[in-house]
Parts: sequence; structure tokens; C-alpha cells
Amino acid sequence: MAIDFEPRIVGFLCNWCSYAGADMAGTARICYPSNIRVIRVPCSARIDPLLVVKAFQLGADGVLVAGCHPGDCHYTEGNYYSRRRFALLYPFLEYLGIEKGRLRLEWVSASEGRKFSHVVSSFTEGLVSLGPREKVPAEGALP
Amino acid sequence: MSQTAQIRQAARELLQGKAVECVIGYERGTDGVNARPFFAYEAAEADRLIFDQTCTHDLAKYLLNRKGKSTAIVVKPCDSRAINLLLNESQIQRDKLHIIGVVCPGVVERRWGTPGAKQLNACQVCQQHTPVVYDTLVGQPVSEPAVADPYPDVAGMEAKPADERRTFWEEQFSRCLRCYACRQACPGCYCPECFAERLDPLWVGIRIAPGENEVWNTMRAFHLAGRCIGCYQCEQVCPVNIRLSLLNRKLEKDVLGMFHFQAGMDAESPPPFSTYQKDEKLGIGE
Repeated sequence: MAIDFEPRIVGFLCNWCSYAGADMAGTARICYPSNIRVIRVPCSARIDPLLVVKAFQLGADGVLVAGCHPGDCHYTEGNYYSRRRFALLYPFLEYLGIEKGRLRLEWVSASEGRKFSHVVSSFTEGLVSLGPREKVPAEGALP
Repeated sequence: MSQTAQIRQAARELLQGKAVECVIGYERGTDGVNARPFFAYEAAEADRLIFDQTCTHDLAKYLLNRKGKSTAIVVKPCDSRAINLLLNESQIQRDKLHIIGVVCPGVVERRWGTPGAKQLNACQVCQQHTPVVYDTLVGQPVSEPAVADPYPDVAGMEAKPADERRTFWEEQFSRCLRCYACRQACPGCYCPECFAERLDPLWVGIRIAPGENEVWNTMRAFHLAGRCIGCYQCEQVCPVNIRLSLLNRKLEKDVLGMFHFQAGMDAESPPPFSTYQKDEKLGIGE
């Protein structure tokens, strides 16, 4: 494992809570690793497992999915559905040989800038210790 | 009276009485050994119908092409679960359907020209020998055997180290030709436009490359999470023998463990992904 390995994290953040939470981290000047590339989505239930699988295919070392806390969903119940979906996707990806630590689901509210920073930091640390994904398809990979 | 004779009699009566336009069943294939799907439209054709351990096809798939038309269908227990799945998802109408359920001891692997001897893997751990839904039952209902460990193959796979699993699946997926036969044979795969054929966005590239194959196979299996009824037609029709049942059965096992749900056992229970419980503990994001 290269010592200067910088993992690439794709972060799918819900517009109403987690994206605002990341924004909060920024306005409050709370540092977090720049390894995460944030993609804003309307709701955590918008995140089709296909997006996660596709991110891994294109060379992501980790995928972070973050949404409102259960009960706080802007659309009332979206995060309950995504919770079920990812509860099943976790063991399935692990079964396919993608280590459990490479996918993470977190609830981050709009006021939790500090939690967002903590999540990204600990996720990045975990991925550094896991190392790069063994095989990244050469063609069509992220630059 | 043999099962074949009972099916023929039921089909003849249905077609003669104009109760249905068509009976979907099995007939002997051109190799003289195996079975193939058969559509009987006339009462005289009913005598071509058969049933034995070579009748492996899941005929429920053909109901999707006969929406709104009165149809009778010969189903094994696993296929009867496919009918419940399609009813649950509002794809077919129960009142247009006459189900001829067959008590099934298990079917064998198809091999052209030679009688199959080996029972399908799925049949060896089958816990459903009597159809879950039927109008006419063919054969005597049997008491279901208690299978202590219905998922020995999945457990064996889970026990392997991660890098070994990764190598195994990479090798399996590298053989994929992306002929989509698994999708075509599956009664649960009926989207008018499959994600694999969308061009914008191009989720699965046209190129037959390991990465693209992996996305296809992962998502094909995941789209059947909580929906796979375990007929394993996908694995039967795969020309390169990818162990697709190992993927489907893993999801089946986890859905059963997490949500206590088995697809197709009835036509009313909400599928696990279209419902939720507010305070359920699933071990993530907590």
C-alpha cells in the first residue's frame, strides 16, 4: 500500500439535511478531508443502488450515502425506504468482495456540520487503512 | 391417473367449454427427451401436453404476453410463486387466469438429447412441493420436508475470505456475454425498458468488459431482491454457466432474515422495499 494513498470518495448527500450539513461545516470553518466528491440528490431515497455500484465500477474507493435522520425526511418517509435498501446492499456488496468499510450510510442533519466532518474524516481514515481497491477497470475509469 | 393424463383432461375441459382461449403447458421437445413450452388453443391439442421431471421452464413468464386474455397455465410450485409475484405487482389479472398447479418432486438439469439425471440445485433444497396458488391441483399434496439449512451454498460462499470471493466473482462475471438470457427467462424481469439498455444515461456500457459485466450482474440480482421466487431459470439458461443462483439466494436469505419475507408466497403482502417500519433496527446508520 502506498503511504500517500488518497482515497476517492463519492458522497451522495440529500439536499435537505446532509448537503446543508456539509455547507454548515464550511461556513463554520470546520475542516474535513478533501477526498470526498459531493453529489447533491433530492433525497436519500433517490440513491438507487445502481449509483453506488456504478461509482465503484468507475473507480471510487468508497461511497458515502447521507440523509436526514429517520423521522426528519423532507418527504416524510424517503429515508425509511433507503435504510431498508442499503441494509440489504451492504451485505450483498460484501458478498461480492467489496469490503464492508467501503460503503457507509449516515444520518447527518443540517445543523450537524461537526458530525459531517467527523464522518468524512473517519471514513477516509478507514479507507486509507483498507487501501486502494484491488482492481480498477482500466478503461472508462475516473481520471 | 398420471399427472400428464390429469393435465390433459383439465386442459381439454377448459378448452372445450371455452373457459379459456389458451392453455400454456409443456410438450415433448424435438430431441425426444426434454420438454418445451406448448400453447394449446384447441381441445384436440390437449393430448400433446405432458408433465414429468424434464419440465424445467417457468411458464409464468408467458403470462406477461397474454395480459387481459383468458389463459390457463400449468405451474410447478416455484412457478406458482411467480404468479403471486405478478399478481402482487399488478401485472396480470387473477380472474382471467386458470391455474393448473402440479405437485412437483423436483426437476432435472436440461441436456440436449440425453435424459437429465441430476436434480437442479434449487430442487435439492426446495421447501415447497405443493403450489401456493391453484384452481386445479394435479397430484396429491405432500407434507413439506423440513430442510435444516436451506442455504448451504450461500453460507459456504460467505465463509470465504473477501479477496477469494472477489476473485471468484471476477472470474464468473468475466465470462458473461451479456446476452441477457437470464433477464429474458426471468418472470420478475419485465420492465419495458431495462436499465441495461438505456443509452442516456448509459448505466451499463455496450462493451463486454469486466466492469460493465459486474454492474449488469450485480444490478440484475439486486432488482430481484425480495422478488426472486427461486425458479433459477436464469442459471438454467446461462450459456456460460455463471452461478447466478448464488447471487439470488444470498439476497433471498438476507431478505428472509431481515424482513421475514419470502417472495410470492401470497399475492397481498407488501414487498419489503415498498414498506417500512419506523423503529426497525437494521444495523446501519445508527
